[in-house]
Parts: sequence; structure tokens; C-alpha cells
Amino acid sequence: MKKDLFPKAVLKLLKENGIEEDDIFAASATDMNTDCLYADGFVVLTLTQLAIVMSAPDEKEIHSFKGYMTKQKAFDTPEKEWTVKIYPIENMENLKGEPQVACSILTADVDGVTYRLTAFSNLYKREMHKLVRTFDKICMEMKADKELEGKEPGNTPEHGPGRGPWEEGKDGDKEPESKEERIKKLKVYGVEDENEKDEYCPTCGMMYPDRSRKVCPRCMDRKSIFFRVIGYFKPYRARIAGLFLCYIATAGLNLVWPYLNGTVLYDKVLAKNNEFLARFGIEDGKYITALLMVVLTMLMARITIIVIGMIQGVFAAKIVTGVVRDMKKSIFGNMGKLSISFFRSRQTGSLMTRVMSDADRVTGFFIDGCPYIFINGLTIIVSLCFMFSIKWQMTLMVLVVMPFVMLIGLKLRPRIWTQFGHRHRAERAVNSQVNDNLTGARVVKAFGQENRETKRFEKNNLRLRDAEMSIVGTQNLVRGSYSGIFELLNISVWLIGVYLIMVAHEIELGVMITFVGYIGQLQGPINFFSRVFHWWSDSMNSAQRMFEIIDSVPEIREAENPIELDNPKGRIELKNVSFGYEVNRPVLKELNLEIKEGSMLGIVGRSGAGKTTLVNLISRMYDPQEGQILIDGKDIKDLSFKSLRRNVAMVSQETYIFMGTVEENIAYANPDASHADVIKAAKLASAHEFIMRMPDGYDTRIGSSGRELSGGEKQRISIARAILSNPKILILDEATASVDTETERDIQKSISYLVKGRTTISIAHRLSTLKDADYLVVIDNGKITERGTHSELEALKGTYYKLMELQRKALALKGIE
Amino acid sequence: MGKFDGFKGGRPGGFGGDGEFNLEQMEKETEEMLKMRFLDKKNAEFKATGGGFVSLKVGDEEYSRIQVVRMFPFTDPDHYISIRTSDENSKEIGIIKDLKDVSKETAELLVTQMNLRYFTPVITKIINIKDEYGYAYFDVMTDRGQCRFTINMGGSSVVHLSETRILISDVDENRFEIPDVMKLSTPERKKLDLFL
Repeated sequence: MKKDLFPKAVLKLLKENGIEEDDIFAASATDMNTDCLYADGFVVLTLTQLAIVMSAPDEKEIHSFKGYMTKQKAFDTPEKEWTVKIYPIENMENLKGEPQVACSILTADVDGVTYRLTAFSNLYKREMHKLVRTFDKICMEMKADKELEGKEPGNTPEHGPGRGPWEEGKDGDKEPESKEERIKKLKVYGVEDENEKDEYCPTCGMMYPDRSRKVCPRCMDRKSIFFRVIGYFKPYRARIAGLFLCYIATAGLNLVWPYLNGTVLYDKVLAKNNEFLARFGIEDGKYITALLMVVLTMLMARITIIVIGMIQGVFAAKIVTGVVRDMKKSIFGNMGKLSISFFRSRQTGSLMTRVMSDADRVTGFFIDGCPYIFINGLTIIVSLCFMFSIKWQMTLMVLVVMPFVMLIGLKLRPRIWTQFGHRHRAERAVNSQVNDNLTGARVVKAFGQENRETKRFEKNNLRLRDAEMSIVGTQNLVRGSYSGIFELLNISVWLIGVYLIMVAHEIELGVMITFVGYIGQLQGPINFFSRVFHWWSDSMNSAQRMFEIIDSVPEIREAENPIELDNPKGRIELKNVSFGYEVNRPVLKELNLEIKEGSMLGIVGRSGAGKTTLVNLISRMYDPQEGQILIDGKDIKDLSFKSLRRNVAMVSQETYIFMGTVEENIAYANPDASHADVIKAAKLASAHEFIMRMPDGYDTRIGSSGRELSGGEKQRISIARAILSNPKILILDEATASVDTETERDIQKSISYLVKGRTTISIAHRLSTLKDADYLVVIDNGKITERGTHSELEALKGTYYKLMELQRKALALKGIE
Repeated sequence: MGKFDGFKGGRPGGFGGDGEFNLEQMEKETEEMLKMRFLDKKNAEFKATGGGFVSLKVGDEEYSRIQVVRMFPFTDPDHYISIRTSDENSKEIGIIKDLKDVSKETAELLVTQMNLRYFTPVITKIINIKDEYGYAYFDVMTDRGQCRFTINMGGSSVVHLSETRILISDVDENRFEIPDVMKLSTPERKKLDLFL
């Protein structure tokens, strides 16, 4: 939390109320008052007090949210009236940021009554959460104090880091910290936080819209993106040089063409100009020879243009495919490295397709657009020079018309782009509906809703047609007015020309034709320039999206000097672990747990209690927001990914079968495994029998393109996969949830073999699955509510006992036990 | 407050034995789940608390603080309002079928609570929209004053609640609403065109 958060007036006010800046332990700005009206304010926490400083709501003020927010939000406006309310935290409990639909409120129980202290928009969610956590910790310290003094009764194990009887004392060799030191550590105000550094763009001072991606879209330099894209073309330098030679040769020949076709043909050869003939060593009067030579030259020029065009096409194709391949490779490569949270927060599929087509679009501009900026620019200049040298009066005419042509392009084109956007969205709607209906075909049929779906489809389909029509309409308009203007230009030039030939006798027919030829030559480049700007920014946007993926830094990163874990014992410890997928919705709250090496821990709890989240943290799919997870006494953040992944394997409720054979799927983690190993693993996972019933045995192709497997079959394949990878720590997350009782019994047998010599964490709804567990924990609401061995928990007569009774009865009713 | 006797004694099949339930428990829960308790001015007494919330007394149950949640916040904000306990695993206490079923004062009290819960500034005027590199920067006038916020263009930041009604969520998921796009002026709509 930054120190310079408060305006002077607020600091003064706090001081008047006995709060010095040094006393502040945590603070957060807020932007709403209790009535959810926008008003600036602050929440300030000291060791003994909570102060809420508010200003009066001001309708005229501009409220800035992320992306607009500057570091020094104009807080220092002195006119503001600040009021302060101070609550002693001694009789305050349950300070919470309660998420509402699109904002949050800060509440606390004061003397048993819940108060709405203030409200805040999501902009301050993070800061406020930190303040609340600091409050909790201060309270805990204070409470611990009281317990030491008076041994307060009613201290339930849920509160504080209570430990089960089977856990050994920790930190035995460390000197315990004094209370002052511990409290001092709680202070977050004025303490630089790694995560909060560089939250603002250094150029414009605005907060980045996405904190994990330190890119300011406003200050993003298009030029730098441009040069970065250029970087991808570097390996193809030679080919690009060749391509440019082709471009220049074509442009040059194109420029010569009108001259050949006009002046030379008409004025020199057809006009029987002997002087001209002499220059090429042709005898006087041999006009037919001269004509033949001109025609031949013209023919050669045309053929050369075509041949060069073909060579150019080959070069371009080679470069484009190469560059696109390289881009896609780096996108895909980086995508694999990203953390699970990246995929959680985005629509992966659409992102992927978009990025893939973006690569095409970027390259397209660089090949078909970029070089033509120079070539077309050059063509225009050179053509105009020629034209001026031929007849400046006629050229002026062209210069007058040209701006109009550009104007049409600039005026009408944006309309087309918006329409393209509309079409794109309409297309997406149609596509996603088709997709939706294909996936849900069974439901549609079962409820007999085919007609309604068809109607719904028709609606989207119509929208697509309309979008298409409007594009065609605008395109026609552009094309029509374009050629209209050029026709007008042509006709007026002809008129002037004819006047100059017939009346003024200033020029000849050939010159005239050359001139008109140059006008034709101009048409393309002018057209090009009227759309190149949009093309450029569009392509830069695509490039930016692409770099978004390439530049994304995975949230879970390997330590700089990672520790390798050789022959781990498999002891796992969780110390004060807190975690939530969203800032102020904690899923796990200060969890403490130790799992001894080689033992099996069973985790019980209702769905959504945080069981899966817990094992996700142990396998480091996410990092805890607070606390540590240790394997063999080493923080898993310091371990190398390789040793972590090699030693921790998970069989989860979500099974995934890759495209490939059964064997490839089982040997996914160790592709070098022998046939014998694979068969052994499959046997242990009770998968061998069903695999052998498939026609191609272990070579049967499964996965999205191959044979469909049932849920239980997939489950068994993934168990076999885990068995083969031979990890020290095995996590079974509802591994047997989707198999029938008989198969479960088989798998149980293989699991009981599997857990030998390993540390196992098993999550299960069916308590029978956990009967081999050395000890069990019950998780409820992100906290461990019960822990102990099977018999201890049974004796406790708590949740576990209740669940057991329920399941026993249910089974008895079904006659299973 | 009908009881759904039809389900008594039997479970909707298929849950056999693998949950945390047994028959009696399941039956009880099913019944509880199926029960729709409607609250009105006769059986429920709502009161404002000193802390800025609302308390409820219904029968002999008393709740020092309740939550007021709309079942159809967009399509039917004044009907089917769920009154829930305020703890983390909040449970439904009862349903107000129509705000007219309770006294005017109560309705006002509840609406105030809901307005705070569903806080969403209504955009009345669009001053400027600029899109850059995957983000769109909005500068708008709302019923709560001028607001400037940023949305992510890639995701589902702009949701069409109906043909003309739009809900916009910024990068932090702060919400803004345009109740009727057609009421905006043509130049304003043009600025918004990208999202329509």
C-alpha cells in the first residue's frame, strides 16, 4: 500500500482525532458512501481503531475507474469537506467486505449489531481485502493475548491455528517471535508490496486495465509493435529482398508501359518518325520492322510482368507461410506455459481461433500492404512527374480530382469497417447457435423444440443476411462513386486532350494515350492509400492481440534457482494457507495441515467446500495468497517444475483423454515406458480387461477423433496414467466417482496397492473409498472442522459421524452391506 | 404454502447411496427445498436495523439481518423477491411474490436495500468511446455523475439484456446500464455502434 495515499486535509483530520500516520496499519481508499453514492473516502485501521473518513457526494465530480485512474487521483482538492467516524476495534467483530452484485459493502458487528460502514466499487476490492485481513490478524493476536492471560473458555478448534493430536510440534528449533515483532509484521500500510509495484503506466500515470499484463493500451506504441512484427520477418531476409526486386521491376515496367503504348507506338512508329527509327539502327522506311519490334517489346514487357508476378507470388507465399508458422509456434508455445488461471478467466476456444487468424492478418498486411506503401507512393510520384513533363495543364486537372477520390475512401470506408464488425458478430451468433444445437441435440429432440430452434436460427440468420447486404450496399457505393469520378476525370482529360490535339495542335495522339495510361496507373495506388490506414491499424490490433498471449507472464513461475527434489520422502505441510479465486471470496481460510510421509489422508466435505482447491494448491496449479505449502520442508514455490510434476501426480474427477492410442494415453507422462510397464499399469488400474475387449487392444485410437470411452473407462485410463508415472505424492480427487460399485471395488484394490510407499491424498464423497486412510480431515467452508483418525472422528460424533451414519443407512437400505 | 405430498416417501430416483444423504434426511431436505413460503404483510414483519440493514420476524423465527435478493433482477424486478439469511451460506427464509403484498413502508425499505445491492449507474449520455488495443475507454454521464471506465473488448463485457437494453461491465466488473439504446441520440448510438 502506497504511503502517499491521503490528501493533507485527511491526515490533518486524522491527527486531530488522535491518529498519527505512523499508527496506521492498513488503509484503503473508497469511492462510495453507505448509500452507494459516489463519494471519496478512506478506511483507516490502526491497532486500536478503525476510522472511516468520508467526503460529501459530489454529482459534478468525474469518477474514474481502472484504466482511467491515475496514481495521484485528484485527491488534493482542498475544498472537500471531510468527516470522520471512529470505531474502537475492541468491541468490533467480523469486519468483512461483502460482495454485492457489482460493488461491495464493508460491514462489521459493533456490540452485536451489524453495521454498514461504507461501500466501495470493485476498484478498491483488493485494497479493502487487505485491510480486512490485517484486521483479522490483529484481532487474532489480541485474542491470543487474552487467552494467555485469562485462558478464555470456549476456544473452539476452528479458531486459530489449532492442531490435531497426531501432528508434531513445528518450528521446534526456531526462536519464537516476540509479540511486538509479530504485530509489527502485520503492518501493510507504507509497505511496498511486490504485487502492487508498477501498477501504473509510467508514461501516462494511469492504472493498467489488467494488472497481470503491464501494458498500457493508451501509451502502447504502434511503432514498437510494428518493429516487433518486423522481427518475425528477419529470418527471411533474402527472400524479402527478392520480393522487393520483383515489386520494383513490376512497378518500373508498369510505368514504361503507357509510354510504349502511347508515345512510341503512335507518335514515333505509326507517325513514321524516321529519326526515332534511326536511333534504334532501323533503316528509314522500314516501318513494318519498327512496328514489329515495338509490338515485340510490348509483348516482352507484358510477359516479363507476368513472369515476375509469378516469381513474386512464390516468394510471398514462402515468406507468409513461414512467418505465420513462426508466430503460431510462439503463441502456442507460450500458451502452454501459462497458468491455469489464464484459461479460467478467458474463453479459451475463441481466444485461440482469434489469435490464430490474427497471425494470418498481421502477415497479410506486411506482405500485401507494407511494400505497396513505398511502391504505390513511388508510382504516384513518378507518374505525376511524367504527366507534368507531358502536359502540366492536364495534370492539374488530375490534381484537382485526386483529393475527392481520397475523400470518398476516407468517408465511406469507416462505415464498411463497422459493418464488417456487425457481420462478424452476426456470423458468430449463427455459428455459436449451430454449435449449441449440435452439442445439445439430444435435449432439443427430447423436448421437441426443433421448430423453435429453427426459428431462433432463422432470426440470427436474417441478421447475418442483413449485415451482408449492408456491406455489399456500401461497397457498391464506394466502387460506383470511385469509377464515376475516374470516368469523369478520363472524359475531361480526353476533352482537353482532343482540344489540344485538334485545335491548339500542341500535342499528338500518342502523348494523349500515354497520359490517359498514366491516369489509369494512378487509380490503384490512390485506392490503396484510402484504405491503407485502416488496414494498418487493424493489423496492428491483431498483432497486439497476438503479443498479448506471447507476452503474458504465467502467474505461477518457477523460482530462479529452483531446488531439485531427489528421492523425496513425501511429507507435506500446509502453513496458514489462504486462497480464493477472487480476491474477497476466500475458498480456503488459514489452513494448517501436515501429512506424514507415506501416509494416506482422506478429505471429506460437501461439494464446494474447497477440497479440490486444496489439492490444486498442492500440485501448484495456483499459488496460495497467504501461507506456505512445503514438501519435505521445502516451499513448493522453490521447487523446480520438473521435480514437482514428477513427484506429484493427480487423478482428478475431470479425466482427459488425448487424441492417440490407449498406450500413448497411459504412457503420457513417460513416453519411453515399455509395453510391459504399460500393461502392468493398466492391470493395476483394472483397465486391462476393457482395453482387451476393444478391437485394436492397446493400439485402439481413443480421444476426440477415436473411439468413445465411458466415464469409468476414462477414469481407469487416467489412473493407469498416474500409476505409470510413479509419483511420490499421489492425489486422488474423486478418482472413483464415476464408476460402478463393482469397478470401484476393483479400483480400490489397485489403489490400496498403489498407495504403498507413497503419500496419498484422497478426496471422496463415498466414505467407503477412504476406509484405508490413516487419518481424515473434514473441510467445511474453507476450514478444517474435524481431524483425526477414523475412530477418533467417529467418537467425536460430528459431521464425519453423521455422514457415515447416513451412508451406512443408505447402503443398508440398498442391501449392499 | 402448499405441501408437495406427491414426493413424500420417495426420492426423485437416481441418487442411490452415493451422496451425503439418507432417506429421512433426503426427504426432509426435499420437502424443505420444495416448500415455497410466501411472505406478506400478514405473516412477516420487516424492520430497519440501526446498522443500515433490515431485520425480519416471521412466525416465531427472528432474523436480525436479512438479505433481499431478486429472482429476476432484469426481467421482473418487483416480483419474486427472495428473503435470505445474511450468512455466507445464505438460505432462503421466504419469498415475496409481489412487492404489493407488503405494506408500502416495507416495500420502500426493501427497495432501498435492493437498490444498494444492485447498484448499477444508468448511462444517460455518451460523451466519448475510444477503443485501443483490445480495450474500450468509456466516458459517460450517468445518473450518479460522470464516469470514466474501461472495458475488455475480447470477453463478454457488453451483454444485451434485450434488443435495446445493454449491461456493460468494466475490467473490474463494475456495472453500468443503458436501459434503452434507442433513447440515445444518433451520434451517441454511432459511438456505441461497435457494441450493438
